[in-house]
Amino acid sequence: MTSRFELLGFVTRKLAASLPLLLGVTLISFTLTVHFGPDPAHAMLGKNPTAADLAALQRELGQDRPFWMRYADYLHRLATLDLGHTETSGEKVRDLLARTMPISALLLAPGFILGTALALFLAMVAAWHRGGRLDRLITGVSVVGMSLSFVIIIIALQAVFGVWLGWFPVRGWAVDGPASYLAHVTIPTLAFVFASIGYNTRFFRAMLVNAMNAGHVRTARAYGAGPARIMFRHVLRGCLLPIMTRIVYSVPALAISGSLLMESHFSIPGIGRVTYQAILSGDQPVIMAVVGLSAVLFAVAVTVADLLCRLADPRIRLA
Amino acid sequence: MVVVDWIAPLIVVAYVIAAVGVWLGLWADGWGEITGVMWAAPSTDHWLGTNRLGQDILLRAVAATATAFEIGLLVALASSMVGGLLGAVAGLFNGSRLDELILWLKGTIDAIPFYLFVAAVAFALQGHAMAMHLAMIVVFWTTTARVVRAETIRLGQSGFIEAARAGGSTHARVIVRHLLPNLAHVLLVQATLVFVAAIKAEVVLSFLGIGVQDSISWGLMLAEAGQDIMAGQYMNFLAATLFLFGLVMAGSLLADRMQIRLDPRTRNQWRTQIQ
Repeated sequence: MTSRFELLGFVTRKLAASLPLLLGVTLISFTLTVHFGPDPAHAMLGKNPTAADLAALQRELGQDRPFWMRYADYLHRLATLDLGHTETSGEKVRDLLARTMPISALLLAPGFILGTALALFLAMVAAWHRGGRLDRLITGVSVVGMSLSFVIIIIALQAVFGVWLGWFPVRGWAVDGPASYLAHVTIPTLAFVFASIGYNTRFFRAMLVNAMNAGHVRTARAYGAGPARIMFRHVLRGCLLPIMTRIVYSVPALAISGSLLMESHFSIPGIGRVTYQAILSGDQPVIMAVVGLSAVLFAVAVTVADLLCRLADPRIRLA
Repeated sequence: MVVVDWIAPLIVVAYVIAAVGVWLGLWADGWGEITGVMWAAPSTDHWLGTNRLGQDILLRAVAATATAFEIGLLVALASSMVGGLLGAVAGLFNGSRLDELILWLKGTIDAIPFYLFVAAVAFALQGHAMAMHLAMIVVFWTTTARVVRAETIRLGQSGFIEAARAGGSTHARVIVRHLLPNLAHVLLVQATLVFVAAIKAEVVLSFLGIGVQDSISWGLMLAEAGQDIMAGQYMNFLAATLFLFGLVMAGSLLADRMQIRLDPRTRNQWRTQIQ
């Protein structure tokens, strides 16, 4: 029997194990943006600064200190969520993230849930009819879906629903209730489902087909269990680990990459557009905050995946 | 699936010919020249019409094929070399400090969202034209390294590597003479997958404005197309979509078939399938 205390220890150990990862990510982001990046002192002084002015400002900004001290300082600020101010509007980066993150979550969640569920369903149908016509159709369409770029899907949906049919708004985020939310979230949701379903269906199908070879599945079939019962109770359980790991792992990558593309194209004021604008204008504090934050999100996602696998499969011990 | 076996390589060859022709200056040289009116309809002069500036869309799409191959080949070659070497070293010294270091590096790079990483590299290189290529190589080697590492560990257990070591071969000789020939099929499949992934990534990055500069690419065409469709002009979108889709699809299918045909474990299964 596992006690609650044991579980807590497991989570703590897993989070501690992700420390080298967090250090690596922050080190890379710090090196790229601060060490190699353009010097903010130059930008602040404008054209033709004297060498003395430059040195004075760099001392004031703490740029004359050694690399490792500045990195430690950056880590300290990241840990205390003191993320500084944006260079363009002067808003606190923390406030900026708090304002934009919920919008991105609302934007991406329906597509993520719908896309995963649909892919799992299609993969189950394909795996059940393995080698048959339905299986070949689903795997064939999956490859087509994988070959369509996210960009193509976005423009096509914009053309069909925004320009031809005019059913949904294709720009902005004027959400003030459930109806306007549905109108604004429809095209991004469709785009997300189309972009992810090919990859996910293919992966889920491969895992399910593998799990179907197990002896207990054949026994269940011999006893006359129906497709739904066999798929959910016997097959899915046998391959829950890789499927769940993949779903959880894809969250941080999706949260940043998906929102970056859709929000910048559809002018939706989420974290993706803020990041995009920061990339174009070279807004150092925002880029560093987003990179650091996504690394934390990744570490949490890895821990959650481990935890879920443990809960689902008692064979994985609290190692 | 015999049909697929032939169609996918043929399509890839057609793209290669298009790209080589552009490199040799045989065609699509004038992709930047204004040769018609704004948004001219398809005609015998401009098979796919013209864009907003009056440039020929077909020429631009063909010229962009060469750009796609430049990016795809460079990234695939470099990341296969880095990933193959680091993966083989990690697998050969499985469990050592060196292995842990390589795994840590791989985990760290995988934890950074790809488009953010490209942006950070572009930022660090202050908008250098090769920033995108470099960022892709740094990110894409990790998958190759993971596959090569797993395969190396599997090969290491079969004993012939131990035999070579006992016979006095150096580590370098073991890697070059014994590991690489057995890893060739894995590397070839991975390189094809990276080739496709790099071309897809280029489209997204150029679309966002942090990719190809001072040249023509399908991503740049799609960025134009995003504006064009609001004015009811679709030729840019259709041309870039068809060219991109064809190459990515053929490349993916090719990688799939190569995986089955070249892997010694599944090669014979394929033969029995045919009979």
